[in-house]
Amino acid sequence: MRWLAARSLYFGRTALRGISASPVTSAVAVATIAVCLVLAGAFALLLFNMEGLLDRFGGDLHVTAYLEPGLPAESQRELADLAHSVEGVAAVRLVSEQEAFERFRSGVAHGAAYLDGLGENPLPASLEITLVPARQNSAGMAVVVESLDGLPGVEELNSGQDWVEGYLRALALVRGLGLGLGVILGVATLLIVANTIRLAVVARRDEIEILSLVGASPGFVRGPFLLEGLLQGAVGGVVALVLLFGLFSLGLPGFAFGLELVLGGAVPNFFSVAQALALVAGGAFLGLLGAGAALAGGLRS
Amino acid sequence: MKFGRRLGPGAAPGPGGDAAIRAYHVSKSYAAGSFALRDVSLEVGRGEFVFLTGPSGAGKTSLLKLLFAAEDPSEGQILVLGRNVVRLGHRAVPDLRRRVGVVFQDFKLLERRTIEENVGLALDVVGTPRRDARAKVFAILKQLGLQHRRHHHPLSLSGGEQQRVAIARALVNEPEVLLADEPTGNLDPDLTVEIMDIIASAATRGTTVLVATHELGLVSRYGKRTVRLEGGRIVEDSRPRGSTA
Repeated sequence: MRWLAARSLYFGRTALRGISASPVTSAVAVATIAVCLVLAGAFALLLFNMEGLLDRFGGDLHVTAYLEPGLPAESQRELADLAHSVEGVAAVRLVSEQEAFERFRSGVAHGAAYLDGLGENPLPASLEITLVPARQNSAGMAVVVESLDGLPGVEELNSGQDWVEGYLRALALVRGLGLGLGVILGVATLLIVANTIRLAVVARRDEIEILSLVGASPGFVRGPFLLEGLLQGAVGGVVALVLLFGLFSLGLPGFAFGLELVLGGAVPNFFSVAQALALVAGGAFLGLLGAGAALAGGLRS
Repeated sequence: MKFGRRLGPGAAPGPGGDAAIRAYHVSKSYAAGSFALRDVSLEVGRGEFVFLTGPSGAGKTSLLKLLFAAEDPSEGQILVLGRNVVRLGHRAVPDLRRRVGVVFQDFKLLERRTIEENVGLALDVVGTPRRDARAKVFAILKQLGLQHRRHHHPLSLSGGEQQRVAIARALVNEPEVLLADEPTGNLDPDLTVEIMDIIASAATRGTTVLVATHELGLVSRYGKRTVRLEGGRIVEDSRPRGSTA
C-alpha cells in the first residue's frame, strides 16, 4: 500500500512537473482537446434533446379515426368498442359531433361569433385512440392504423406517424453526422495528444535514460507520460464543459428560431451530471489513448 | 547509512565460487570486422575493487555497458550477481540495475531537479515511501558532505560536488556492484583523489567496485587489482602483492 502511494505520488509529481515544464505545448494540447470536445459535445446536446423530445411526444401520440357523417350514435359506440379490441390500443374516447364543435369554438376564442353564422355543425364525430406504451412509436402506430383502416363507418384515419418518421430520419441524420464528426475529432485529438507526449518524451530523454540506468521498469518510465496525457484530456474535457455551458446559457437565445424547427418549442436541456462527467471522462480517455499511442513505439533504455 | 552488502573490510574474492562478475569469452562488435571487445574473460569477486585501465578506445566503456545490460555482447556469456545478462529478459533488466550502481564521467544529473530529487530517483523506482527516501537521501548526502546542498540544483555545484551527487545516487540503494566509467575524468587532481576515496570506501564495505580509468597515477596510488585492456583484449591482469588470486 505504501509502495502504491509512493509510486502514485511520484507519477503525479512527475506528470505535473512535465506539464509545467512545457506550459505552452500543454496549453495548446488542452485547448485543442477542448475545441474538439465542444464540437462533439454540441452535437451530443442536440442529439440528446431531439431524442428527449421524441420520448416526450411519444406519450402524446394517438390515432384519430374520423367517422362518416350521419353515423348513428349506436354505430359510433360499436365502432369505439371494436377499436378498443384492437391489439395495442389502450383506450378509445368517442368525441361526438357536438363535442367536437364545442372544442373548436373554445379554441378559436374571439372568432367564436363567426361560428354562429354556420347553419349546421360541419365537424364529424371521431374516435381518439390512445396506444399502449409499447406501441407509442412509428411502427406501433402503423400496426394500429392498419387494423382500423377500412372499417365500415371510418372515413379517415389521422396519426402522427408521418411526423414521427420524418423526425426519426432527421434524428438519424444528426446522429450520423455527430458520429462521423466524433470519429474525426477523436482521431485529431489522439494525434494532438500523441504529438504533445512525443515532444515531452524528447524533452525528457535525459530523465528517461537516467531512470532506466537506476533500474526503472518501462511501466515506471511510461506512467508519468500516460498520466500527463490523461490530465490534459481531463482538463480539456472540463474546459469544453464550461464553454458548452456558457454557449448554452448565453448563446442559445440567438438560435431560438433554428431550435424551434428541430425541438418544436420544447425547452432544451443541458447535460445531466452523469453526461457531463462522461464528457470529461471521454476527454481523459482520449488523452490517455493519445499518450499510449505516443509511447507505443517504446522508450529508449 | 552503510554502503552495499556487508562482507567485511578486505573480503577476499573467491576464485570463482563467489564471483560478482564473470565474463566468458566476450566479444562485442558494432560493425562487421570492427571489435570493441574480443574474447574477454574476467572474474571479479564480491567485495573486490578492480581498476579497468587502457587507452581511449581500448574497450573499457564497452565492457561496462555490457555489465549493466545497456548492450548485448556479440559473443560470449556474462554473469552479474549470478544472473546471465545475455539471457536476461527486458523485464528483468531493471531488477539487475537496481543491484548495480553506475557512475559516469559526465555525472548524468537532471538539471531541473534538486540534489535531493536527483539522488532520490534511485529510491523512487523501487517505491521507497517518501519519508524513508528523504531520510536515506539525507544520510548518504551527509556521508558525502553534501547534506547542506540538498535543495540546490546541480548546475550550482562544482564538478566534484556533482560527481559526489552522482555517486550518492549510485550508492543510495546499497548496490552490490558499483561500476564507474572515468568518474574523475572531468575533475582536477585534488577532487580526483576525493572522489576515488569515496568510491574505494564503498568497496571496503563489501560492494564490488569496477572503475574504468586511463589515469595510471590513480591506479598506482590505490594499489588495487588492475585489468588492462588494449584493442578490446585483456593484455594484463595484475593483483597487488599479498592479495589472493
